[in-house]
This record gives sequence, structure tokens and C-alpha cells, in this order.
Amino acid sequence: MSVITTSAPPLPVRGEHTRHAVSPMLHRLAAERATGVLLRESGSLYLSDGEVVHAESPRSPGLDVLLSAGGVLDTDGWREAVDTAGAGLRVGRFLVDSGRVTKGALELCHAGAMFDAAYFVLGPSSAPARFRYGAAHWLGPIRPVPVATITREALRRRDLLHRIWPDAAADDAPLMRAVGLSSPPVPIRQGAVLDQINGFRTAADISLTLGRPTFHTLVAVRRLAAAGLISPAPPHPPRTPPAPDTTPGRTAPAPDTPQGPSAPTRATVPYATPYAAPHPGSYGAPDGPAGGSPAGTATAPGTLPPEPADVPGSTPPHPVPVPAPPWPLVTADPDIALLQRLRDALEAL
Amino acid sequence: MPGIDECLVEAMRLPGALGAAVVDWTSGLALGTVGDAPGGDHETTAAEAAELARLAAEHRAFAPEEGSDWSGADLPVEDLIVSNRDTYHVLRFVRTTFDSSVFLHLWLARSDGNLALARIRLGEMAGRLVLA
Repeated sequence: MSVITTSAPPLPVRGEHTRHAVSPMLHRLAAERATGVLLRESGSLYLSDGEVVHAESPRSPGLDVLLSAGGVLDTDGWREAVDTAGAGLRVGRFLVDSGRVTKGALELCHAGAMFDAAYFVLGPSSAPARFRYGAAHWLGPIRPVPVATITREALRRRDLLHRIWPDAAADDAPLMRAVGLSSPPVPIRQGAVLDQINGFRTAADISLTLGRPTFHTLVAVRRLAAAGLISPAPPHPPRTPPAPDTTPGRTAPAPDTPQGPSAPTRATVPYATPYAAPHPGSYGAPDGPAGGSPAGTATAPGTLPPEPADVPGSTPPHPVPVPAPPWPLVTADPDIALLQRLRDALEAL
Repeated sequence: MPGIDECLVEAMRLPGALGAAVVDWTSGLALGTVGDAPGGDHETTAAEAAELARLAAEHRAFAPEEGSDWSGADLPVEDLIVSNRDTYHVLRFVRTTFDSSVFLHLWLARSDGNLALARIRLGEMAGRLVLA
């Protein structure tokens, strides 16, 4: 064991300054006008010439979900557009040129989806980010947004939620309605969310059903929580034996309970859906892994190269139930602390 | 076919137009801005206008009395007008076929702005932005 007499020089770490810089790497990429995709724990952010052109997160419904939920575009129409123009990376243009969606509608809907996904992609993460130069999304550029706008908005949204109701526990957990309360009339958009709450669905599940950006659902969820009408469902027992597949559905209703079809997949191919992999400290919520999984399985971008985060901070696919550590991850183990600082420093380069 | 930017440019052609924005009232995000904003700050203006729009859209008192089940896709409120000593604000809700909460915000100088004209034109622009 070597003895270090002088204290290590300060390295740039993610901590206090992340209030101002969501991702130092992202700002560097913007400065060099990079094109490619930033892969983070909770999704991906596509850059073109240093501007954000698209974002995807398993927690956020994609453009296809938003458009088809409103009846603008059915699944066939969407598939045809992707088949025709996907290879040329211009599906967005094709949708407009072929008259399926108006330009204004596409821009509004895409901006909604992009800022929504970016909010989750840029959320606190305990895994390193990677950037793949040259990668482009098949949607093609629709209305690029500067990196500074996206990151500032992500922070502003975090503050907005905090001001409505400071407890983030309901963001990721299955939600349940307060018992014994005849609910007072709530505004219509909150009412739509309230109607979906059944003790199993998370905000992300509800957003998929409603075809609504998840941040919009979170705003409603926090307001409903502040009004005492809903609360996070109490955590399930840590491990229950795999239940027989009795509830087929688009979204897995009980995230903590391994299901017939999904559990073996996750067990045998733990990183097949990289963003669904359980991870402590993900987004600072105790039920982080539970909340992210169902949507992740549904919409994880299959084209992205899965790669396990080879950091001590990450966990095996079947974690022992421990209380989620606060973010940033604080550990007393000096080796792990050193590795974390190195990782943070590398990302901040 | 207009996109967000074309729509904003068109709004600025109205007499007396000082600035315009397309804003999401759930998040308070300005999806697009043009011209000036009160205090020179489009983001703060968008967030504050969004708060006003949200209150108007959510409170039942402002919903139409007749023929509204208050649950369909129809917007409960068409527009909001705020006037002060020297300017007007017109907030026009945009009806979309997908789930959204968007409005157009036009800031007009009172000296040479025409409120009635602006209100009609803004309604037309909101329609064209989303429909063909």
C-alpha cells in the first residue's frame, strides 16, 4: 500500500457545478460542432453540426407514439415512411412532403418529444457518457436546437417540478390513488393522468398510454401529489418468484415483479436494453430501476450498440435490494472514489 | 406550408407587432421566438405567459357554457387578451391533433397595433400552423 503524502490535485468532477453544466462533454461537442450521438445512461442525444436534432429516452414516448395516439399517423403510415425514407435519413421531410403531417405539426410534436427525452437524457446519471461520431438519426433534422438551450431547459424543468412538489419519489414509482378520498374536480389534463393511475403504472407508462410527453405527465403527477390525491405505491417485496405470464400487455404493469416474457430476457441478456438495466442512483429516485424498465423494454433503440458501463458504480442485472445512494454517488471506499473521480474527469475533458 | 418560424415571421408583419413566440404552457418552454420580449427576456416571458395560459385553460369558469362536455379535444379557451398602458398581449391557443399544450403569444404596441385584426389573424395562423 503506497503512502500518498500530498493531496491529489483537484480534478473536474460532477457535483456542484452540474447545476450549471449538465454535461461538460456535451458543451465541448457543441463547441467543436460535432455530429453524432451522445449515449447516456437514460437515453441518447443526436447532434448535427453541434446542434441537437433529436433525443430519445426509454422514459419518454417517441414521435411515433405521440403522432399515432392523436390519430395523425397510424402504425402503417409510420412504417411506410420509415421504410421509404429511413435509409436516406429523411423520414421527417418525407412525412411533410407526402402530406401526412403538416410542417408546423411535425415541428411542434417533434420539439415536444425532443425536449421531453432530453430532460431524461440529461438527468443525473451515474454512468459515463459516450459519443459516437458520425451517427445520424433516420428522422433527419427537423428543427435543430442549440445545446445551450437544451441543457438550460433541462435544468429549468427540474426546478419547475421541484417548485410544484419537492418530492421526486413519484416520478419513477408505480402510482396509487389516495384511498378514502372522493377526489375533488381536477383540471382536465390532470384528470386524464389521474384516471390512469391504478397502483401499477408509472408516469412513463401513463405517458405512453396517453401519447403525451412524460414531462407533461410528471407536471400533473407532482400537482396531484401536492394535492394529496396520489402517492408512490409502496415498494414491492424485493424478490418474488417469477409469476406465470397472466397479464400480457404493451407495458409491463408490475416493474418489480419479474414477468414471464421479460424476466428471462433480462436475465440472460442483461444488457440487451442498456437503459433498462437497473442502476442505483439513477435519477436520484429510490425506485429508479423499477420505473425505467417497462418503457425501456418497449422503446429502447435497438440500433444503439449496447455496452455495459464498466464502472464500479454500476450493478449486476440482479441487484441486492439496497437503498439507492444519493446522487452523486458517495462512497467511503477510497478505490471506488478514485475511480469515480477519474471517470468524471475523463468525461469532463 | 408554414412551420414555427414562418408562422412567427407572419405574426411580426401585423401592425404594431413587437414580438411573438410559440410557447408550451405545461412546461413554459418557448419553442420559437421572434422580435422583442418584455424586459428583453423571451424565456421569462414565455414562462410567465404559460402560467397565465394554464390558469385560463384549466379553470372551468372560462370554459364555454354550452355544448361543451369539457373533456373532448376542443380547447376550453380560444384566446386571452391582456392590455396595459402601452402594449397588448394576445395569447392564442393552438389546437393540435396530437396531445399538446401550445399557444401563440403576440406582443403588440398599443399605439399602432390593431387588437381586433391581430386577434383574427392570430387565430388563422394558429389554424394554418397545424392544419394544412
